[in-house]
Amino acid sequence: MSTLLLEGGEPAANRRIRQGRAIDRIFAAAAIFFGLLVLALLGTIIVSLIIGAWPALSKFGLRFLATTDWNPVTQNFGAVVPIYGTLVTSVLAMLIGVPLSFGVAIFLTELCPLKLKRPIGTAVELLAAIPSIIYGIWGLFVFAPLFQATLQPLLIKLLGPIPLIGALFSGPPLGIGVLTAGFILAIMVLPYISSIMRDVFDTVPPMLKESAYGLGCTRREVMWQVMIPYTRAGIMGGVLLGLGRALGETMAVTFVIGNAHQVAASLMAPGNTISSALANEFTEAVEDIYLASLIELGLILFVITFIVLAIAKLLLIRLEKQKGA
Amino acid sequence: MNSEHVAARTALTSGINYGDSVPAGAPNVASVSILPAPVKIVIRNVHFFYRSFEALKDINLPLYDKRVTAFMGPSGCGKSTLLRILNRMYDLYPGQRATGEALLDGQNILAPGLDMNLLRARIGMVFQKPTPFPMSIHDNITFGMRLYEKLPRSELDGRVESALRRAALWDEVKDKLKTSGLGLSGGQQQRLCIARAIAVQPQVLLLDEPCSALDPISTQRIEELIAELKSDYCIAIVTHNLQQAARSSDYTAFMYMGELIEIGDTATIFTNPKVKQTEDYITGRFG
Amino acid sequence: MTSLYRRRRIANFVTMSFCYGATAISLVVLAAILWTLFSRGIEAIGFDVFTEMTPPPGSHGGLLNPIYGSLMMTGIATLIGTPVGIMAGTLLAEYSYGFLHRLGEVIRFVNDILLSAPSIVIGLFVYELVVIRQGHFSAWAGALALAIIVIPVVVRTTEDMLRLVPVGLREAAFALGTPKWKVIVMVSYRAALQGMITGVMLAIARISGETAPLLFTALNNQFWTTDMNTPMANLPVVIFQFAMSPYEDWVKLAWAGALIITVTILLLNILARVVTSVRRVG
Repeated sequence: MSTLLLEGGEPAANRRIRQGRAIDRIFAAAAIFFGLLVLALLGTIIVSLIIGAWPALSKFGLRFLATTDWNPVTQNFGAVVPIYGTLVTSVLAMLIGVPLSFGVAIFLTELCPLKLKRPIGTAVELLAAIPSIIYGIWGLFVFAPLFQATLQPLLIKLLGPIPLIGALFSGPPLGIGVLTAGFILAIMVLPYISSIMRDVFDTVPPMLKESAYGLGCTRREVMWQVMIPYTRAGIMGGVLLGLGRALGETMAVTFVIGNAHQVAASLMAPGNTISSALANEFTEAVEDIYLASLIELGLILFVITFIVLAIAKLLLIRLEKQKGA
Repeated sequence: MNSEHVAARTALTSGINYGDSVPAGAPNVASVSILPAPVKIVIRNVHFFYRSFEALKDINLPLYDKRVTAFMGPSGCGKSTLLRILNRMYDLYPGQRATGEALLDGQNILAPGLDMNLLRARIGMVFQKPTPFPMSIHDNITFGMRLYEKLPRSELDGRVESALRRAALWDEVKDKLKTSGLGLSGGQQQRLCIARAIAVQPQVLLLDEPCSALDPISTQRIEELIAELKSDYCIAIVTHNLQQAARSSDYTAFMYMGELIEIGDTATIFTNPKVKQTEDYITGRFG
Repeated sequence: MTSLYRRRRIANFVTMSFCYGATAISLVVLAAILWTLFSRGIEAIGFDVFTEMTPPPGSHGGLLNPIYGSLMMTGIATLIGTPVGIMAGTLLAEYSYGFLHRLGEVIRFVNDILLSAPSIVIGLFVYELVVIRQGHFSAWAGALALAIIVIPVVVRTTEDMLRLVPVGLREAAFALGTPKWKVIVMVSYRAALQGMITGVMLAIARISGETAPLLFTALNNQFWTTDMNTPMANLPVVIFQFAMSPYEDWVKLAWAGALIITVTILLLNILARVVTSVRRVG
């Protein structure tokens, strides 16, 4: 193949060249192989979930998404209760968590004295390092009783009597329940969303902000009318990322949601999410159809999360391209 | 392309073959080279493309062994591109390609089917920013050597010492060969990179603005180094600094917008250039 | 002061106070969690936590078998997942041209989704793949599930760290005639080593606390075992089981376990930051 330059040269060096080329090929092949493995992982996960859920998919079909039944005795299962719980807790987590994340992000980028930036920033990131199960036991043993004793009766007294939305806040203060799970989830997703928001706010050119300040805008106005419009795509991406995480959270939710198979109007009531149902009932699922139904729930969760995360990723990629261009 | 360019170029490349000598006494004010020097590399009809953008247009010139040829010109004129053709750096990046010939000792190094690593072991390059590897000074020097030669430890150490001596760095680092290359100053790091390049005993040295990131004192030391090294290598240096080109080189080539405008011995180029564009550049009317 | 201006100032004050308040809430929650862990965990921690097995309800015991199980499964998961992650990350960072560039974009996209995917689904997946086939739960399955969680983390950090290595450094190595694999291993990896190690540490911190995947794979084991082919006790699942139980002894042990996990994770995070900030001069 290739020659020259060492014709008649030392055979040792020539051998090295050939070895080098061979190892180059092997190395590149290995890198490609493991890269493809990552892709294969995703595909295999989806396929195996479908296979596992097949008995339930074929028996219940689309009915699965419409029934609230969950009866291990009669072997009739439906996904409405867990899906409802997953969606409601995640939406609550977003409603509570996104404004809080905003607040933290704005504080860290605009209001925080320089010396405190690093320690406070690190502290917020530590919230992300704490595993789900720790949030769970803290939620169950500390937050729930506190909530039950203070905030919950307050909410019920204040908002319960109001027509319409009062229904959301009715019922006895149990401490655990859908709202509690929403609070805990909000704290869990806060570090992720605020970290992305911080990065995104840092990309706003100082000159843009200064032109607004120069016109006499207050901080709040610069925030709402300059920073947020400029970073719209990034914020959306961050929020969706947080949503993706909230949807999939298991242990924290399992501890505080109460594990009741019901769709109640009140946020104070216990409920169930897909992941808490899986965590709680998996070991009891002896019959094939029970197990398959649980796996189908997992499949639904994976699909929902995948779609949310994919949209988040696309938004963030678009933001990168904008920045670079 | 006007007649001046054509005349200058054809005078230089017509009939040039490997083995031709330049007339004795080709003068350089700083170091007069009396002995005739053979042609080491002949560049013929070279065009270079970044995707569809033509960055080099029909370059023809010789590079003489044991002489320094400087390439000067405003930013974007293609001088670094030309240098990087000679060790086929562009091969690393798809979408970049070259046509034409570059004959090293008669063999076309732009031809397909060549072993790149072997070629690059014969042609050394030093870059704009010092790039010591994240390892000890000793390992930096032996990195290239160990690729192609199996040497006993004592010989290895001997080569390290001689490379560092030639790069005028030995006295400063002989007691700390095992410390990291990153701990040296900028000028020292660049001399380390030069030592690393010459340790593999190349035949040609390509220097891409080697002093642009350095202070004047370090720059001066490296220019002195180049003057010493040229007795053993064919050296091509790209520089932004006109005075540096005038000080250090035997031949100077002026490039503009991808074309070779004029090439000749340094004294003539700087005192009596044939092409008006060259004169404008030298006197600072543009660039 | 016009009333419009006054309103603007009030709105500004309210918003900024909210920002301060939000940060305060986050810090208070963090402090509360750590305080609870330390106060309840410390009273439960004793020498026997580290030397005795998990007890039946109502009697005294320790966490030796779950600690061992967690160490084993975390260790093996890291051993499996790290090389896979590094090689895939290398593909994304060092072989990014032509058709491989497109492939890399797709792999990066999928990898980032796997990074945030619910870990319970990973557990289900390994259950389908391994546990059902083998007919029993096992620590190998648990390690595999954890490895799948490690991989995307390591891929991401490896790629990010490799991309930070300056192009000039690689070119200098190529200019010496170095074959590509050597440029990657002896120059790029060396330059990015700190960052890559940090990435692995963060991955370990992440899987130390993962419960859901282990629920479906390694399950739990009341007794001591070193056989990876059987269900094996591990800290997160034990905490789950004990904390939800009505037995006081068990709840106490759960807090002890929680403290152990959290301290480990915090130490790993601190270590990672220390490693990153050590200036490389040698």
